[in-house]
Amino acid sequence: MLIPHPLLGLRDAQEFTYLGDARLIDRPDGMAEGAEAAFAEYVYLRDNPAGVHRELWFHEQGDRSWLIVTRDTVTHEILGAELARNVALAANGGEA
Amino acid sequence: MTRLSGGLIDRSRSLNFTFDGRKLAGHPGDTLASALLANDVRLMGRSFKYHRPRGLIAAGSEEPNALVELRGGARQEPNTRATVAELFDGLDARSQNRIGSLRFDLLGVNDLLSPFFAAGFYYKTFMWPKAFWEKLYEPAIRRAAGLGSLSMQADPDPYDKGFLHCDLLVIGGGAAGLAAAQAAARSGARVILADEDFRLGGRLLAETHLLDDAPAAGWVSGVEEELASLPNLRIMRRTTVFGAFDHGIYGAVERVADHLPEPGDKPRQTLWRITAKRAILAAGAVERHIPFANNDRPGIMLAGAMRAFANRWAVSPAARVAIFTNNDDGHRTAIDLAAKGVDIAGVIDSRDNVTTMGSYPIFAGGVVSDAKGRLGLTKIEVTQNGRSQWIECGALGVSGGWNPNLHLASHHRGRPVWDEALQSFVPAKDGPPGLIVAGAANGQGSTAAALRSGAEAAVQALGELGITGALPDLPQAEDVVSKPHALWHVPGKGRAWVDFQNDVTVKDIKLAHQENMRPVEHLKRWTTLGMATDQGKTANVTALAIMSELTGKPIPETGTTIFRPPYSGVSLSVLGGGNTAGHFRPRRLTPTHHWAEAQGAVFVEVGPWMRAQYFPRPGETHWRQTVDREVLATREGVGICDVTTLGKVDVQGADAGEFLNRLYCNGMKTLKTGMVRYGLMLREDGIAWDDGTCARLAEDHYVVTTTTAQAGPVYRHMEFARQCLWPEMDVQLISTTDAWAQVSVAGPNARRLLERIVDEGVDISNEAFPFMACKGLTICGGLRARLFRISFSGELAYEVAVPTRYGNALMQRLIEIGADLGATPYGTEALGALRIEKGHAAGNELNGQTSPQMLGMGRMVSTKKDSIGAVMSRREGLAADTRRLVGLQPVDSAQPVLAGMHLFTDSAAQNTETDQGWITSACYSPHVGSAIGLGFLARGDERMGEVITGANPLDQQQVALRVVSPHFVDPDGGRLRD
Amino acid sequence: MTDLTPITALGASAPADQHFGPLRISENADMALASLALRRTADMPAPMGLELPAPGKWSQGQGVAAFWTGPDQWMIEAETRAAEDFAAELASHAPGCSITEQTDAWTVFEIASDRGDAPIRALMEKLVNIDTGSFGPGSATRTGLHHLSVFLVRRAEDRLAVMTMRSMARDLWHVLQETARRLKGEPA
Repeated sequence: MLIPHPLLGLRDAQEFTYLGDARLIDRPDGMAEGAEAAFAEYVYLRDNPAGVHRELWFHEQGDRSWLIVTRDTVTHEILGAELARNVALAANGGEA
Repeated sequence: MTRLSGGLIDRSRSLNFTFDGRKLAGHPGDTLASALLANDVRLMGRSFKYHRPRGLIAAGSEEPNALVELRGGARQEPNTRATVAELFDGLDARSQNRIGSLRFDLLGVNDLLSPFFAAGFYYKTFMWPKAFWEKLYEPAIRRAAGLGSLSMQADPDPYDKGFLHCDLLVIGGGAAGLAAAQAAARSGARVILADEDFRLGGRLLAETHLLDDAPAAGWVSGVEEELASLPNLRIMRRTTVFGAFDHGIYGAVERVADHLPEPGDKPRQTLWRITAKRAILAAGAVERHIPFANNDRPGIMLAGAMRAFANRWAVSPAARVAIFTNNDDGHRTAIDLAAKGVDIAGVIDSRDNVTTMGSYPIFAGGVVSDAKGRLGLTKIEVTQNGRSQWIECGALGVSGGWNPNLHLASHHRGRPVWDEALQSFVPAKDGPPGLIVAGAANGQGSTAAALRSGAEAAVQALGELGITGALPDLPQAEDVVSKPHALWHVPGKGRAWVDFQNDVTVKDIKLAHQENMRPVEHLKRWTTLGMATDQGKTANVTALAIMSELTGKPIPETGTTIFRPPYSGVSLSVLGGGNTAGHFRPRRLTPTHHWAEAQGAVFVEVGPWMRAQYFPRPGETHWRQTVDREVLATREGVGICDVTTLGKVDVQGADAGEFLNRLYCNGMKTLKTGMVRYGLMLREDGIAWDDGTCARLAEDHYVVTTTTAQAGPVYRHMEFARQCLWPEMDVQLISTTDAWAQVSVAGPNARRLLERIVDEGVDISNEAFPFMACKGLTICGGLRARLFRISFSGELAYEVAVPTRYGNALMQRLIEIGADLGATPYGTEALGALRIEKGHAAGNELNGQTSPQMLGMGRMVSTKKDSIGAVMSRREGLAADTRRLVGLQPVDSAQPVLAGMHLFTDSAAQNTETDQGWITSACYSPHVGSAIGLGFLARGDERMGEVITGANPLDQQQVALRVVSPHFVDPDGGRLRD
Repeated sequence: MTDLTPITALGASAPADQHFGPLRISENADMALASLALRRTADMPAPMGLELPAPGKWSQGQGVAAFWTGPDQWMIEAETRAAEDFAAELASHAPGCSITEQTDAWTVFEIASDRGDAPIRALMEKLVNIDTGSFGPGSATRTGLHHLSVFLVRRAEDRLAVMTMRSMARDLWHVLQETARRLKGEPA
């Protein structure tokens, strides 16, 4: 597979390490009320869709960026890739 | 048989080769198959199951029968198709799958037993008694129904791999491929043209068609010359594109030196990973057979192959041949062979109302219904209008129509579609994205159509990339499309072969139908149709059509046949691409490796690293002697060990402290500058993951260490936390593992030794540089260094780091100037013993099953802050686990302690219910004077002094163990702080 | 000046240097390296007059050069200054940046061709899955090479630098030697 790196263009998937569901960037607050239940879900429950999936890839043999890649798990078509840091910053209300 | 006239062989030179020991000769340009035909060898192998004598069926890589063994010794190579083996001087080839000679194979008896070998015979025959399968049936079947044999030696030749990138990959160098390559190359695009043959031209080399009124070979040479002159086009001959993978990645094998006796400096084969923005599949078509009784006699082959042998290689399988066809194309073979002086016994055409296209006899509306000649065809039975007659001929060319060679187009599961007019499957529209199929592979049967579709495909592909291409002036060529009459087999009593390689006959398909193995996937597995090296290239569609006849459903409803990579056999050696033995992974060397080597150290692999395990001295006869000495020297004098392999990560930034606070379960933000703290990292599920030290070099600068094994994953995790979890923090990370050589200097004399190397004015006294201090300093006359007062052994200890290139010299210096202090190098064995004696957890204790509580570090997990894993480490399931890290010492000091032993309260009932824990680490402790261990024991912290049992059921070992503190040495930690 | 004698990454006293047909591969043991990372609030610096290059690029200044290694992160090269504390000097030229010494973290092999770019490209095709067509002079990237992690810097049409972690220098040297030797035996 080829991953469309937002900064470096198409790079072979062999350069990357796969982690999984992009929801892992939404880590619950460990000091909040009900943290244990939130973490149980965060750690153990994942969707496993046959179809479009947002997932985390690490450019290990590259620029060490974590990417969020949107991929169709049926056809392997890749619909986009973003720097995970930018996505996380936007989600946290910070600037990208 | 002498050679015919013409052909693309170099008659000025002869190549000598042997087949089954016979000395024969051919010419450059020959394949082994054509050279054998030229030497009158028609019998080339035995069939897989029945050991029927077999000859050639095809002229290319689809060949199912003529599998041979090439070369000898360690280079012996089984199952190569004689049709793709390029002849070279000295080639040694042998037939295979026989016991005895090829002409008289003892296993030919299988043929007489054929009623027992029908479809599904493995499943039916060898089921009972069950025990017989492994001992009797399987070995016998393997011996009888084998292919070639292996040399059982390592392949001596190098294999290589490589990576190519292009705008357009053209797969196949025939009419369509050459036209596509020409059109694309002239546009300036980066083009790769790959062909499995050693000569470009594909089917054009096998035909007598004229291109612009001249032989096609001339046009091919002209295009080839033009392409070779263009820097943007790369021609790859002898290169099979075997698979279409995701996103335009194609796998290809280049047979760099298969046509040479030995590769010399070259790799034997190269595995190429080609990344192509667009690709054109121009792989041509494969002719199909028409099964009839005994249609596997040596000498019966595909008509197109017979024509290729005559036109390209100037050989005919016999002086008198016949043709059996259901289409016009078969007639071409008769015309071409007749033109070369071969006697044509007749063309048997299943269509009524056909007439001869030359001066040969025609049998319109006829079929071939039987054949004679066990070791070589002698005559065929022709049935016409209900009457049969025998006709003498030495070879028969059969043409049942052509199947587009769409293999790669269905590698992404695209299902081919049935084309009623062509009576064949053509590529689906949902093939691999970016792949366009052209020429005969797409059902474009005529030369003109192939040329046109190749060039048009190139212009289309380039257009999609924004490159303007133009159609080249294509030569005038024949434009006749031959439509076959649907004749899939000749009904009759005898066995009629569909799949030659697997000995699947029409009867087998009928049987599968009767037994309700009708879906094509079941048919395949029940009969073994389409398996083995040819993957049914000449058989699958025919079998499907026969099944369709039997079920009464149209072919497309019966099923389709799709393909997976590889297109043809790929050797494991080339897939390995040179990854053998030491090439499998890098071997990391420590900075003191060369010094240790010179000391005669014994090395051990620790992950990717080679570390000194121990340093034997003259007179030491057992490794334990050496290790015990190293341990004691460290406890009594000073020991020195290279600890560079620990992962080191530089953490900087305004939020570095807060960042580490969240990564480690214990606090790091409050660490004072110039101090070091032990840190434990948890996984988010609360399990202990990795440990190390954090040294705060400045307010905004830490250096953290990881374990050797987890350096890579921990770094990845740190980047995940930095980029994905807390991106708003100001933190920068970089690995510095390789930048610094780090040695541990441990033992009561450690400070005195270090005082001899630190530069003047550097105070490392206990007051100025206490336990857990760190600082930058200079040593040995101005060399920048870092010093950490940390201890893994429980002794007064330091780790000193210098730029890596000086590590070797530093080690040497410390040993030299510390001689009077007892300076002794120690390896990983002593390192392990020292830390077990001190009760430090390491990889064995952090094995992915242990919680901080089990390690005795439950209270380290701060509740005042959020950190990775903190919440889950407190969950009920983990909190309920009472197992705790303890020390274990045998009651009888002569008894062993083994890592992996399970712990029980007594030796009566030892099972999973009564299991109390296990031993994680064990060693002989010179300090204690017996073996000792660390382990996890239920309520271990409350059971000091209790005697329990350590059990190793594998060796029936039972050892009485006393539960003690894990700190065998200096439990109060006084030595560390001294 | 320290009285400890350094050794090269291959364990020798002098850097490796060998010819293979048109290619010369030599170990560059004299180059100092330091990483530079921007802090959140830092302005883009121009340390020692260097223009820090865009993603995938390498740029050259006076005796120093830089290549991009990741978002807001670069590696700075300084010819012939391996013996000095180059990181400390760089830090004084890049206030507000995180600087980390990397000199001995990497072993650098400089590959030069005396027959233009073709031998360099042929070598790359056997080693790395990087499109040589879009990796012209001034390009730099990290990628995998066999089982090693490497930086590649295309210093010129006919020059390529390959760097790997120092502990794996022997393996990189071995694979460069073997590949360059084999290319001599293969038709271009």
